[in-house]
Amino acid sequence: MLQTTFNGVVTGVIMTLPALAITLLFGVLKFPNFAVGAMMTVAAYLAFALNAQLGWPLLAATAAAALAMGALCIGIDHLTFKPLRERGPITLMVASLGLGLILENIARFAYGNSARSFDIELARPFRFADVRMNHEQMITIAVSAAAMLAMWLLLTRMAMGRAMRAVADNPSLALVRGIESPRVIRWTWFIAGVLLAVGGVLIGMDRALEPPMGSNYLISVFAAAILGGLGSPLGAFAGALVIGVVSELSTLAVAPNYRIGVPLLAIAVILVFRPQGLFGQPYIRK
Amino acid sequence: MNTILKVTGLHAGYGAGDILKGVDVELARGSILTVIGPNGSGKSTLVKTLAGLLPARQGSIELEERPLNALDAPQRVLAGMAYVPQEYNVFRNLTVLENLKIAREFMGAGRGEKRALDPELEELFPELPKHYRIAAGNLSGGQRQMLAFACALAVRPKVLILDEPSAGLSPILMTEVFNKVARVNKIGVSVLMVEQNAIDALRISHSCIVLAGGRVRACAPADDVLGMKDLNSLYLGNVANHF
Repeated sequence: MLQTTFNGVVTGVIMTLPALAITLLFGVLKFPNFAVGAMMTVAAYLAFALNAQLGWPLLAATAAAALAMGALCIGIDHLTFKPLRERGPITLMVASLGLGLILENIARFAYGNSARSFDIELARPFRFADVRMNHEQMITIAVSAAAMLAMWLLLTRMAMGRAMRAVADNPSLALVRGIESPRVIRWTWFIAGVLLAVGGVLIGMDRALEPPMGSNYLISVFAAAILGGLGSPLGAFAGALVIGVVSELSTLAVAPNYRIGVPLLAIAVILVFRPQGLFGQPYIRK
Repeated sequence: MNTILKVTGLHAGYGAGDILKGVDVELARGSILTVIGPNGSGKSTLVKTLAGLLPARQGSIELEERPLNALDAPQRVLAGMAYVPQEYNVFRNLTVLENLKIAREFMGAGRGEKRALDPELEELFPELPKHYRIAAGNLSGGQRQMLAFACALAVRPKVLILDEPSAGLSPILMTEVFNKVARVNKIGVSVLMVEQNAIDALRISHSCIVLAGGRVRACAPADDVLGMKDLNSLYLGNVANHF
């Protein structure tokens, strides 16, 4: 039970970064981006190319992939979403579904369907209070905690973070307060790209690199973001932990194959009883 | 008259038709101009177009003889025109302090400035520092309006545009809001205000425009309009008997 809970915490922690990316993008751009799974896949393969093929240390490979993914996300927005921005959230959502398919298949075209893994040294797991923890799980927790802290500092202490929250809160008021939305949107995509890249590498470390690796997490990550309240960074963190732990604990009662039912059930329950999520604000059309 | 804001032949609207059909407005420097008119007359469309939230289809908007038509909303703030919307005029999920900070951060104003409010504004809004850590959405209607004023004034605008500042407020708070508008004007900010509560607004105003059917029906000193017997009928756009 304790081991399962710990595994659930790690699964949840892995999901915090993509859930945060979804919630940031939704907050500022007001559409659910279903390409996040494939974006994580592409970023993970970028890190793989630098790490396993060029021999870079994984940390440096992840940092480079994160910057590249941030820049790529700005380019993707410019080519794909910006021309459709005036057409509303449904059009943008459908475009993101198509984009996800394209990105995932680019990864498949480049690296095939077989599973790959990063070039990292294997280390013996250690035990603490009857819980077995491996090296990768500790790195996952440390990296996610650092990323969450960085995001908190950005959103509360820095002008651009405040601007992102302001645009998410009230876009037309942001304009008359002198906040230029295009600049805020570019930064939002860049930060989301960095979060997705780090999230993709963590998934690759936890499981293996394969084309559907990101989209396999899509439902759980959306459930986490919706549970926490779309647009709420704190909610994304809490939602991811809850979904991760409950999904893992559910395997004690039902076959692991049915684990995917937990996030789906969570989405259904939240939408019926608290559509704004745990930390979200009720949606008011302005 | 030394004109600070000049609007000539302004056409604007949503969809196919124009709501504003050739509006002319002149705001004298250092004065308060109140725009009154019936619902649907184009008052809110006028202020949104001035603020840059709605494009002008025809006509010109000039601030101190500088054309503003080509500028977007953030650039108009930079040019010296601040706007306080009727509703949703603060960032509800940000604290009072964050609202004040963000009002200046993107204007290059107060960079490196430690104080959220400069002394003049602190004197004008002494109650705001007490609520710095509170989310703006949790403020009362009157406090929210004060915060919205302070944010708009934080960039030292030349012209302040207000869309129904007394909407939804109790009579006591309404008086307080109009007193504040008068004090803002006294520190040198010219004000263009759209207001449903015509009598209270005209008491602090220098001039008045009656807008009806997207056109300016009358333009007169505020005192003259206040002295009219049938002000309600004027407010509804019936100007024939008055001018």
